[in-house]
Amino acid sequence: MNPAQSTQGTVKERAGVALNNDFLRNAVKFTTERLRSGKQAASAEHGNWEEWRERGRQIRLHTIAHLDYYLNLFVDNARKNGVHVHFAPDTAAATDIVMTIARNKQAESVVKSKSMVSEELHINRALELAGIETIESDLGEYIIQLAGEGPSHIVIPAIHKNRYQIAELLSEDAGEELPPDTTILAGYVRRKLREKFLGADIGMTGCNFAIAETGSMVLFENEGNARMVTTLPKTQITLMGMERIIPSWEDLEVMATLLPRSATGQRLTMYMSGITGPKRTADGDGPEEMHIIIVDNGRSEQLGDPEFQELLNCIRCGACLNVCPVYRHIGGHSYGGTYSGPIGAVLTPALNRNVAEWDDIANASSLCGACSEACPVKIPLHDMLVYLRRRKVERGHGNRWEALGMKGFAVLMANSKRLNLALKMGRIAQKPVVHNKGITLKIGPLKGWNTYRVTSPMADHSFRENWQELSEDTRRTAPPMNAETRDRMEQILRQRRASGIQGGHHE
Amino acid sequence: MSNSQSTPDWLNKLEEQSRISQQAFIDNISTRLRRPRMTEAPDHPYRGTPALWSEFEWDAQQRIDKFTTHFQEVGGHVVRLQTMEQAAGFIADHAVQMNARYLIRQQQPELAELRLEERLPDVQISSWNSDPDEAWKARAAEADIGVVMADGAAAYTGTVMVTSTPHQGRSVSLLPTVCIVILPVDRLYTRLGELLIPMDEIGREHLPAGMHFISGPSRSSDIENDLTIGVHGPGIIYTLLVG
Repeated sequence: MNPAQSTQGTVKERAGVALNNDFLRNAVKFTTERLRSGKQAASAEHGNWEEWRERGRQIRLHTIAHLDYYLNLFVDNARKNGVHVHFAPDTAAATDIVMTIARNKQAESVVKSKSMVSEELHINRALELAGIETIESDLGEYIIQLAGEGPSHIVIPAIHKNRYQIAELLSEDAGEELPPDTTILAGYVRRKLREKFLGADIGMTGCNFAIAETGSMVLFENEGNARMVTTLPKTQITLMGMERIIPSWEDLEVMATLLPRSATGQRLTMYMSGITGPKRTADGDGPEEMHIIIVDNGRSEQLGDPEFQELLNCIRCGACLNVCPVYRHIGGHSYGGTYSGPIGAVLTPALNRNVAEWDDIANASSLCGACSEACPVKIPLHDMLVYLRRRKVERGHGNRWEALGMKGFAVLMANSKRLNLALKMGRIAQKPVVHNKGITLKIGPLKGWNTYRVTSPMADHSFRENWQELSEDTRRTAPPMNAETRDRMEQILRQRRASGIQGGHHE
Repeated sequence: MSNSQSTPDWLNKLEEQSRISQQAFIDNISTRLRRPRMTEAPDHPYRGTPALWSEFEWDAQQRIDKFTTHFQEVGGHVVRLQTMEQAAGFIADHAVQMNARYLIRQQQPELAELRLEERLPDVQISSWNSDPDEAWKARAAEADIGVVMADGAAAYTGTVMVTSTPHQGRSVSLLPTVCIVILPVDRLYTRLGELLIPMDEIGREHLPAGMHFISGPSRSSDIENDLTIGVHGPGIIYTLLVG
């Protein structure tokens, strides 16, 4: 999907760069911790959070399971509202439609509000190649656009930049020195973008939710820029992932409860806007012409796949990023795709249909499950990461040494005599490389581990060899077993013998 | 709507393409879901919020208290007033205090009755979309203060709702530096759902083009997590709770 980024080495290499950047690590840690505790407070304040999560999950599951019906219903209703609806199976088709509209409108400038789909499509690049000025209007997006970077967090795109770096970027943009003061910097962007909003030919937005029964689109935001984009330019283009649908406004109450609380810990974002068609003829503002481009770009491949269909339930809140111990250390750009964190690790290979090329991001996770626990619609993200790893191995993209190691392990473990012999030999063989009770050798398979740690040598006597002594020790010092417990356990043992089930080896 | 005029050729062509792609696009979804295309509305047993939520309701005083707390917590201002006359006085006093030169209001009878023009002779006051030749977006953009009526509000999230009509511009609550929303107390409900569910009931044909749910001043934390107020929309927002 993103050749420019994907060719820049592996996740490990990109993370190496990120790990050397102290500011990035601290900023990401600080912000994600704030968002995470905000979410915890907001979900606790709301109460019955589990019940709401389950409801959110059911609504998303239901919609996706009947997506053909609901998407078609949405399209019919949006058309009746006067919207021009378009279908884009892939990036090329979506770009083509946008460019056709821009060309025919003789557009000189486009103002955009935050849209992850447009990042996915790299639409800015296409517009700029055609000589059309394209301005990101979300404060964070504007900053990273000036820096020529992609977003490193779904909700806070410029999480990795400090105020001095931002002051430098904005000063260059302004042609005058701006102090690194948040209020002054934001004030500059407000003034600058006001002119852009009022002068732009096309407003481009994403879409948080699309209401099937009325053909409306819903946007959540805090700055007011999405309202500007949908109010001032004469033409509006909305890029919408095909799975953004929910059936009704009634269902929106559940999403409006889950999304802001999970994303930023807010009761509701400062603005939530429902747009139903272009402006009515007599209205004084709003777009005269409205286009909605429904984008597939790999999404439909998840349908009918029992392991990944639930990926389409995602409401893009970013809660999984904020709790992820790996994301917090390496930051968003290390993931190399449009979407970062646990959701990115699963979504990027899924949307790109190239598990092999992206396989290493599936490994950028400790599988601790914090992401699944945080997800407001209960997507089992850490299970999906395991499925991805399995698919990678099944498709022959596994690590040869790992496979060989596993085979050797199987041979050894199959026979206790063989294992004992190997352990004895190991104890002798390690002698030359043990120094100060540790192995520091950085060759072969030990290189990765020993670069940061010291391998413990094998003990002189194994646990098994010490068992006799250990068990006598335990028997001597353990308090006598409660008579009732003993009776119960003996009864279980008798039952087991009677039913013919063999116990373990420790009878 | 734009399509009431003659549609240009390129748009007709896009439209034609769209209807062809629609078939393939939706069929692909059905195929992937491994069943024939679904054309009847499926049973949706989980529609809306968990069951008990719809019974949750605060009494009038609680609604006022909670709305006030929630709106103020995020940086908005709430003023409790008894009459529209008091609201008019509040707006006039504030306009003078803030040295406002331009004020724009929605073209609504309740707002006309405030007689702001008489109260503020030195302020240039305009009424949204009252003259077809005026550049209304520019008028709203230059305004120091925008005055709107709320169509509804939810105390639980601290949210006011404004909708668009020919006489109610989206720009009036968005472009001025200060936004003043007048909320009659009988339009203040407990839950957001009490504002959303009527949208389903009203039905597609009767929905306004723009519905905006506003919960406080425009804000951003995009620079080092430092909260900034008034990034694109109004940095100062008052809700005058009247009645």
